[in-house]
Formats: sequence, structure tokens, C-alpha cells
Amino acid sequence: MFGFIISRLLQAIVVVFAMSIIVFVGVYAIGNPIDVMIDPAATAEMRARLIAQYGLDQPLWKQYLTFLANVAQGDLGRSMVYNTSVTGLVFSRLPATLELVLVAIAIATIIGIPAGIYAGYRPKSFASKAIMALSILGFSVPTFWIGMLLIMGFAVELGWLPSGGRGDEGTFLGISTSLATANGWSHVIMPAVNLSLFKMGLMIRLTRAGMVEAMQTDYVKFARAQGLPDRQIVFKHVLRNISIPVVTVFGLELGSTLAFAVVTESVFNWPGVGKLIIDSILTLDRPVMVTYLILVVILFVIINFTVDIVYARLDPRVRLGGTK
Amino acid sequence: MLKNALRTGIAAVALFAAAPAAFSQELTIGLRAGPDSIDPHWSTLGSQAEALRHVFDTLVDADDTLQLQPGLAVSWEPIEDTTWEFKLREGVTFHDGTPFTAEDVKFSIDRIPDVTGPMSMTLYTKYVDSVEVIDDYTVHVHTKGIAPALPNDFTRMFIVPSETGEGAGNEEFNSGEAAIGTGPYRFVSWEPKGDLVLERFDDSWREESAWERVIRKEIPDDAARVAALRSGQVDLINYVPATDYLSMENDPEIETFTSDSVYILNVQPTVKDVAPQPIKVNGEEIDVNPLQDLRVRTALDLAINRDVLVNVVLEGLGTPANQLMPEGFFGYTDEIGEKEYDIERAQELLTEAGYPDGFEIDFTCTNNRVPGDAVVCEALAQMWSRLGLTVNAQALNGTVFFPAAANEEYTMAMSAWGTLTGEAAYTYGAMVHSKDPEKGFGNFNRTGYANPEFDEVFVEGTQTLDAEERRALYEEASLIAMEDRALIPTVILQTVWAAGADTLTFTPRVDQETRAYEIESVNAE
Repeated sequence: MFGFIISRLLQAIVVVFAMSIIVFVGVYAIGNPIDVMIDPAATAEMRARLIAQYGLDQPLWKQYLTFLANVAQGDLGRSMVYNTSVTGLVFSRLPATLELVLVAIAIATIIGIPAGIYAGYRPKSFASKAIMALSILGFSVPTFWIGMLLIMGFAVELGWLPSGGRGDEGTFLGISTSLATANGWSHVIMPAVNLSLFKMGLMIRLTRAGMVEAMQTDYVKFARAQGLPDRQIVFKHVLRNISIPVVTVFGLELGSTLAFAVVTESVFNWPGVGKLIIDSILTLDRPVMVTYLILVVILFVIINFTVDIVYARLDPRVRLGGTK
Repeated sequence: MLKNALRTGIAAVALFAAAPAAFSQELTIGLRAGPDSIDPHWSTLGSQAEALRHVFDTLVDADDTLQLQPGLAVSWEPIEDTTWEFKLREGVTFHDGTPFTAEDVKFSIDRIPDVTGPMSMTLYTKYVDSVEVIDDYTVHVHTKGIAPALPNDFTRMFIVPSETGEGAGNEEFNSGEAAIGTGPYRFVSWEPKGDLVLERFDDSWREESAWERVIRKEIPDDAARVAALRSGQVDLINYVPATDYLSMENDPEIETFTSDSVYILNVQPTVKDVAPQPIKVNGEEIDVNPLQDLRVRTALDLAINRDVLVNVVLEGLGTPANQLMPEGFFGYTDEIGEKEYDIERAQELLTEAGYPDGFEIDFTCTNNRVPGDAVVCEALAQMWSRLGLTVNAQALNGTVFFPAAANEEYTMAMSAWGTLTGEAAYTYGAMVHSKDPEKGFGNFNRTGYANPEFDEVFVEGTQTLDAEERRALYEEASLIAMEDRALIPTVILQTVWAAGADTLTFTPRVDQETRAYEIESVNAE
């Protein structure tokens, strides 16, 4: 176990380094942020001074080294647009995204997995076919379009829910979150449903596929022959066996949703990190782009690590590390 | 029926959601962009100035057509070639109760170089040499050289109290600690990309605003902003997209407000000896740059059907442009008539210039900077192809376009330009005067255009303190630049606001600022 953690940690460091270089080169290739930001009437002298002030006149490798040196001192830099520390900026937006993603993933799991189990258990029934048809819709219809439909229906026509934004924050177990107030829930529910549809489709299909396969295996037949009720077979034996692909995908989806919930965030004007990163790209706010992308890499590394540990719990045959 | 029943049943929830609109003294505005900081000296960004105007005041204000109006200064005049005298308004207090005096002006101007960011505010103080406090209500600004446009520069130069101290930066302003001005509203709260909440300042020197509380929500997504208005979450939105404009105009529940903007889409033909992107005739690259020939530029101009651009391409949200500024701006000349569309004359000119079969040329534009830039780009390419040219039009994201444009990589480009100060020097000094880093002119002259006659007339204007003489010189400069087709203006873009019918009223501003204190409430009660 210990060896496993160490090797994972080393891998993670290499990945983060490689990523930081790729991000740096990529961002550098787009162009000089001063040309995007500068006021049209600025003089050439002002432009030159600004470029020097932000170190943009230095060669790429030198800028990268300066960046590394600052990171080593725990300083990820300051946003060129907001002039506040990048970490502060990202973390001030993170709670909103976290709320949205957790609710979305919860909806996707709570509805998706039982629906998938049912569809796999009775694949020929009408309800199963309906579930599968809906899951295809969840996959293929673009998120922003469903988002607009939801807004037109529930906010504009019916007026039940607000069209966007985040609701009032309350305190729950010492954490300040909009999930602690009714107003907060009225704001979060629509974007969360919107965000969950794709993942729900994914969960349904994965669970169903595993289910169909597992129901034909010998151990299920034996269990049935033993006279175990189907309920017990499905929830105690089959579910555990089909969990591994579901957990893997769950982890990856959690990561990618956290990092890139941007479409839903802009349609619903949700003040999360997705919007921040898109705005930063549009203004070429380099420190924010670089920091954010590196944070995303770290996030994925952590999630994958957690998923590996969950594997071991689910399937005793999986051993962490090389110990026999 | 069912819908109505549901409506009543869930009325509580609906009320809950629409609560902000329920208080008549509260105004919630959905805006495309907001400030980047609460420090008024951080950035020259338009949406920054617009937001901070509610909290801070400037010495000089501008009315809805950008003509200068008294602000914290009641009058100003040049007393020597290099000295402007500003008489300050008496009896004004900051939000914390301290009186406003000349020291605050000096402090604010001196503070700028230390705290400003990449969109540098030193732009507005580049002519300022020093600030001299004469008495509590008189300030002398000594300038580097003659600076007739100084009052224009001061329309976005905000005044903070001298007690702010030198250490205060973005963090202190964003938290509200240092966000103290003389403006019509007090700062309550803000976070980047979030809501700016304001409360009326009752001791303001202006007429009392109709709104006790103003919430400026940033909703960059066009569709989301429209939905927020339609669902009653906000009372007013700016930058209504053209696609929604038509349906809103026909909707009795919604009222729209339309105004010309300062933004004009200009075609920028490169007139350098070598075109950055090669021009081809019959598939062969040619050594000469046809755009150097005035006849070719005139042909390009004549082939543009501006009525079609306005009425078809922009669905009515534009005005044909005949020069680089809208009518009424300082330096706008009446001597250029309406631009005509004459494809036959254009073809003749092209033949005279030696291109009877046209040529193949690249044309690059922005696609996300102003509403309509991409569609106008495509339409222009089609218009020129009727002339016999092969135009490879490409509309790019501004993030890609601007750095490449700054490197002068485009043979022919189009982007929007706004004469934000309401007077010609801003535009001509940056885009039309020949490139001259020493004098600080021509920084945005990417076409290589250099006309000594224009430069002379324009520079003479910038050295003339008498307003009427200066106006005449700028008008002459306008005529020279336009006859020479240094740039080819196409359309003035219009912008649209929308609000619930019979809730509020205001005069739309040509600089597109949405000022809560200039909005009046139409209250049925």
C-alpha cells in the first residue's frame, strides 16, 4: 500500500510537470496578452513598458523558470485581469462549481444506476426500452440546448424556478453553501439536472451492460438454483461485480464535470470556475489559465488515486502494490 | 388550464424566485460585462468605468452624446499653453463624510502610475506633467506640451479621497474598505464576475436617484441574459442580441431602447509595398500591392452596399457610416455626403487600375468583439466578389485576431473601433496618423498608411487650444482621410437595451453605459 502511494505520487509529479510545460507552450503560442488587453489609444512606449513589467519580453524558457521559482515559493501568481492572487480567485469560485457538480452527480447516480439495473434485469420489458431510448437522448442532445429548453419552460413560461445565478448562501455544518437554503436549491436544481443528463445516460448504459452480462454467468445460475431470491442475487452479488466499470467512469466524470462544467455554467450564469477559465482564455489571462489547468491535472490524479483504492475495496482480487 | 392551476399552486415558489423585482425601489440590471476590480484606477476597460461611475465621480462628465458636462469640476479652461485650471464643486462629501477638496484630485492623479494594470490608466494622464493645488477648490494641471483634449481624458479619471493611502490596492477596494467615492451610490459588495450591489448615497450632489438599491448582475451569455429578463429575474438588460431583438419589439410585455453606438466597423486595407498575405491574379502571386492604388481602394468602397448591410445583414440594428465617427462628434465633417453604392463605377476604376479580372485577396475580421462583426465580414466578401474579386474571408476570435493584427500580419482586416472620447484626436492619433512611436501616434495604424498632408493638419489640431479652430482642423483631417480611403468605414453598430414594459425609462447613451442614476422609474402605484 505504501509503495503504491509513493509510486503514484512520483507519477503525479511527472504528469504535473509535463502538463505545466505543455500549458505554458500552448498559452505562449496564442499570443501576447498585452495586445488583447491594451487600450487602443495607448502609446507604443506604454505597451513596451507593460510588456517588460509582466516579463513578457523574456524568452519562453526564462518565463517558465520564473514561474517555477515562484511556485516553489508557493506563489502561483496574480491574475493580470483582476490583480488578485490566482489561488484566491480559483478557490473563491470553486464552492459554487462543487455544489453544482455534486448535486448533478447525485442525481445521475440515484436515478441512473437503479434504472440501469432494471433495464439489465428485464431487458425485454417496455419500461427498459423506454429507459434505453431516453439514455440515448441524454447522450446526444446538446447540453446548452436542453438548458435553454429548461429555462424557457420552467423559468420563462411557468415561472417556477429562477432562470440562472446562484441562490442565497446558508451555513450547514460550518460550511457556507447555497445548498443550505431553499432559495439556493431553487437555483441549483435546474442547472444540476441539465448537467446530470449526459452522465445519467452513461450510468444507465454501463450498469445495464454489466447487468445483462452478469445475469448469464454461472454464479447467478448457481445462486438461483440454491433458491436465493432475485433481490438478494442482484443487490448482494451482481451489483458488487458490475461496480468496477461504474466506479471508474464515475470518477472520471466527476473530474471532468468539475473541471469543465462550463457550458451549463454559462447558460445558467452559474458563478463557478468554468466561467472563470473561459473568460481568462478570452482575455489571455495567463496566470489564471496555467494555474487552473495545473489544478485540474492534480484533481484528476487525486480522483484516479481514490478510484484505485475503491477498486480494492470492491474486488478483493485487486491488490495494491506488488505484494502477493 | 392546468398551467394556470400549477401557476397558482406554486405561486409561493415563483414569488420567491422573482423576489428582487418585487420591491419598487430596487433595480436589478443584467449586464454583459462588469468591472475587473473596484479600484477605479486599475483599468481603462469600458465596463469597468461604467460600473465604478456609480461609486466614484470624475472631474469632467459626458452626456449621452459624449459632449462634456461638469462633474466634480464645475468649469475648466486653459490659462496658459501648458496649464489647465479646474474649478471644483464645493460642498461635496465622500461616502464616509470627509469633504472633497483639491488634495483629493492631486492624490488621485498621482496614484495612477503606481496601481494601474495592463489596461493602463496612464493613458488618461499621459499629458499630465504635474498637479498643483492652488486652494481647496482650484487645481492647476501642468501638461507636457499643449494638451487641448485633457478634459476629454478626464472623463474616465475617477477621484478617490486622499485618505485612501498609498498601500491600498485591489484587495482593499474589492472588500469595500477603500471603496469610498463621491458617487450617487455606496459600494456594498462585489466579487469578480459576480454581482455588484450598490446602495443609494443620500448626500450625493446629484439629483436623487430613483433607486434605493441597485444590483448589477453580470450575465455574459446572451441567451441567459434574455431569459433572465423574460423570467423577471432582472428589470433591464443591455446588449440584446439581434436574434431576439425582433421578437422583443413585437412583444407587448417588453420595451426596447435602441441607440447608435460609438463603434464603427472599419475595413483596413494595407498599403505597404509588400502585402503581408500575398495577393494573387489568376492564381499567380503578384509583386505589387494593388491596395496602394487609390482607385482600387475607392472601388472597394463603392462596391459596399451599406443599406443592405444595415437592413438585411444587421436586421436594422445599424446606421450606414461615411466616416470614422458618428455624426455630432468633435471633428465629424458634414462635407462627406452619404456613401454611394455604384458597382459599375467600381468596376471601371478596377479596370483603369489594371485589374479587369480582379484579384484574390485575404480578408480577416473578428467574430466575437461586437454584435454582427462576423456577418458583416461575410457580407462584404460577397459584395466584393460581385466586383470580380476572389475574397477569402475569415472571421477569427479576438484572442487570435488582435495579437496577429498587432504584428501586421493581415493584408486586409476589419475590426470595430469606437471613438470613446467623442472627439477625433483619439481615433486619428491612433489609427490614421503615420506610425511614429516617438510622438506617440499611429500605434494602431496597421495598414502602413502615411499621408504627410493628413499628419500636418491633424498635428496642428492637437496643438490648438481654441476649440473652434481645432474643430475646423479636425474636420479637414476627416475629409483628407476619407477621400484617401485610409480606412473604409462600413456601418455604425447600434445597441439595444430591453426592460419590462412600463417599468422604467432612460435615454440610451452612445457610449452604451447603463447608468442606474440616469434611469427613471415608471411606477403605476
